[in-house]
Amino acid sequence: MIGKLDTSTDPQVGFRPAGSLDVSTALSPFGGRFGPRQAAHLLRRAGFGGSAADVAALVPLGAQHAVDAFLHPTVPDVEFADYPPELATVPPNMYGVRVRAVQHWWLDRMLRTRRPLVEKIALFWHGHFATAASKVPPEYMARQIDLFRLQGLGNFRTLLASVTTDPAMLIWLDNRYNAKAHPNENYAREVMELFALGLGNYTEDDVREAARAFTGWTLKNGEAVFNPKAHDDGLKAFLGRTGPFGGGDVIAIIVEQPIHQRFIARKLLEFFVYSDPEPELIESLASVYALAGFDLARTVATILRSNVFYSNRAYRALPKSPIEFAIGTLRYLGVTTVPDNLPIVLARMGQEPINPPSVKGWDGGPAWINTTTMLARFNYVNALMATTAPTLAPDAIVRAAGGYDAARVVEVLVSGALQDDVTADARATLTGYLESSGASAAGATANPLPFGYENYQEKIRGAVALTLNLPVNQLN
Amino acid sequence: MQRRLFISKSLGVAVLGGTLPAAFARAAAAQTTPGAATAGNRVLVVVQMSGGNDGLNTVVPYTDDAYHRVRPVIALDPKTVLRIDDRIGFNPALSGLAQLFHDGHVALVQAVGYPSPNLSHFEATQIWETASPDRPQQYGWIGRYLDRVYPLGTKPASPFEAVALGDTLPAALVASHVDVPAIGALGAFAYNTGRDLASKRSAGALYDGASGGGSPYLAMIADTAREAYHGGDLLRAKIAGYTTSVTYPTDGFAQQLRLAAQLIGTNAGAQIVFVSLGSFDTHAGQRAQQDRLLGLLGNGLAAFYKDLAAHGNDGRVLTLTFSEFGRRVEQNASNGTDHGTAMPLFVVGGAVHGGVYGEHPSLTDLDHGNLRFATDFRSVYATVIERWLGRSAADVLGGTFPHLDFV
Repeated sequence: MIGKLDTSTDPQVGFRPAGSLDVSTALSPFGGRFGPRQAAHLLRRAGFGGSAADVAALVPLGAQHAVDAFLHPTVPDVEFADYPPELATVPPNMYGVRVRAVQHWWLDRMLRTRRPLVEKIALFWHGHFATAASKVPPEYMARQIDLFRLQGLGNFRTLLASVTTDPAMLIWLDNRYNAKAHPNENYAREVMELFALGLGNYTEDDVREAARAFTGWTLKNGEAVFNPKAHDDGLKAFLGRTGPFGGGDVIAIIVEQPIHQRFIARKLLEFFVYSDPEPELIESLASVYALAGFDLARTVATILRSNVFYSNRAYRALPKSPIEFAIGTLRYLGVTTVPDNLPIVLARMGQEPINPPSVKGWDGGPAWINTTTMLARFNYVNALMATTAPTLAPDAIVRAAGGYDAARVVEVLVSGALQDDVTADARATLTGYLESSGASAAGATANPLPFGYENYQEKIRGAVALTLNLPVNQLN
Repeated sequence: MQRRLFISKSLGVAVLGGTLPAAFARAAAAQTTPGAATAGNRVLVVVQMSGGNDGLNTVVPYTDDAYHRVRPVIALDPKTVLRIDDRIGFNPALSGLAQLFHDGHVALVQAVGYPSPNLSHFEATQIWETASPDRPQQYGWIGRYLDRVYPLGTKPASPFEAVALGDTLPAALVASHVDVPAIGALGAFAYNTGRDLASKRSAGALYDGASGGGSPYLAMIADTAREAYHGGDLLRAKIAGYTTSVTYPTDGFAQQLRLAAQLIGTNAGAQIVFVSLGSFDTHAGQRAQQDRLLGLLGNGLAAFYKDLAAHGNDGRVLTLTFSEFGRRVEQNASNGTDHGTAMPLFVVGGAVHGGVYGEHPSLTDLDHGNLRFATDFRSVYATVIERWLGRSAADVLGGTFPHLDFV
């Protein structure tokens, strides 16, 4: 089957970078300059951003070794609980509290881990196999996130098989009720439409036959169990092949479809590189994926090492997702505690973790950006700067600037946070803010001096917020 | 889309000085816009009763023996119900709504639901809000309507033409490209820097001076940042001229309706407003909780209607209630009710043909202990879209559904 990728419902279509792509070298290893911009780009895309020191530490490695540090980390990770500890003590009827516990547990890992690609790929698969605590109890959600963390850079065929028998997924798409006597097609349909092939690349007969192959799984004491009596072991005709297929066979047939390989390649490119990638680039990455035997680490590595990844086409070519924005802000500031209200704030920004809006996951791209979510982002930063004590404290900034010099403070901020991707006008406005007298209406007469010792704390906090709220900082 | 508001790029701080940019100020010069209903100025207000409202204690079949038999504790006393006819009556907590009904401004649509009802809060809410019982839909039914009214590249004249009153955007209003603001508290709809006003002014200067660049998303982000930054001030300016002599109840729901009346009655130009009230999820001790909420609903809608009428807007505003499901016919062991299916909904407005639409559902001919639905909710939506808003509903709803005659 040749097939065609269905992009009719992808809002990222139309947001491809301008200019043309040299597809012949696009996925070749990048050997160009690896400065702070490139290092920060890698940190944002393969992780959740970082502090100015994090960026500086990557630069001397060069692109290829820097990617190695993400893919094959040698540093020991921070100690995390494998499973949210509160779930053992908070009773099931306090459902919302349990949901928050799982959200905090995962956000904390994203914030503090030294192996951010593991959490990043887990976030990718969470959006792909979008399962939600609105239906699935949070203890199962935690286990599913852990599955994405452990297998997210493994083999896709194995991952899809694991997802098929993952208790959260058995609940989410009702495959636990899919039995020979009364088939339920929900999971089989979404495997093809949303997880592996895309709309238009299978028939309703394929859905029915795959559903038969997926029969027999159910949940017992919270674990997936296979009941041979409920499994339909008859012959099935699926995507042009016939046999007494089980779920594993169906998955093996799916991943061999060229359209599947392009489907996954496109999704990875839209997550890691840029929106609406060229068909030639998709084709090229699909070949890499197929040749790698569906190995995700090798496929993702090819992306992160590539010319196109470090090209101007990809640089700041995606909007940050709310989670990328929120965690990136904390990492830049050196805040090491997830704010208590972060899940609620993320919901206002349009991305509540473990609660995607539907099985289609989050639309992403332009759908992240509207006036409501933008205000939520701005006010998150403003509240953070008014209430937390980050490592990147005003004193540290003054030290880095070498004194109470507004223009030098602005340079510290725009280079550390934004790798100097800030216009001269915006720098002038930031400097003007620091030099304007009075930190506040109340302090206007009390502090007639511009930026100086008396009010530097509040002024620098204000300048950090303004810097982080620049439009360019919404770009990944 | 590419609206540019360069105020003063060098030191815009002093120029802006907490006032609105000129273009916004002109647009905001507050006038009220009352008038008769025409296709162009009709308004839809959607009231979500979240949690699943028990229909049988809302519109009470007070003479039905079966009702009293299955609800020995939580049934309403027939003497207290506000009679509609000799079989059904309103819960007395709904006195405000009952008065509107007797004045002929309320259509009561009985037994609304859909085939193979879903009893999960989340999924049923998604179904109602996306008008899609069979397949998950990314966009809401109103979102899809808005996407068709404003094709890609166009946008509403006022950013408040469609608004959700609440902190997050409900699924019903999620559109592919129309930006629907979610407004929690009026005061919180702002770029908030606390007492650091210089920071707020500087942010305005940064956004007014921002433009696109190499990134395919930067222009959109800069535009949206500007609109988000100025949106709160613009909104407050637009509704500033509105006064009302109506005293609303002080609860949050009534205050949302008060803001809705302002958004409708000024050149904020609201045409779609979504408000919500909850939680109606009355698994235990139902009477106290539901009666309190129905009181908020009825009194809020009554004040809202009075305010609209005082400004000549009652004839151009249609208010539609919904809940994700009704509740089980039989009461449970905790003097509450569990998740159920069909329920009544209300359509309120000066142009509404008041009355009862459909039969009260049978309490004995049940489907697994649940009421059978008689009217598909998409028929209600289709009626609202086609007869009230004047657009084709088939492409929005993915099919055609028979109309009701409430409007």
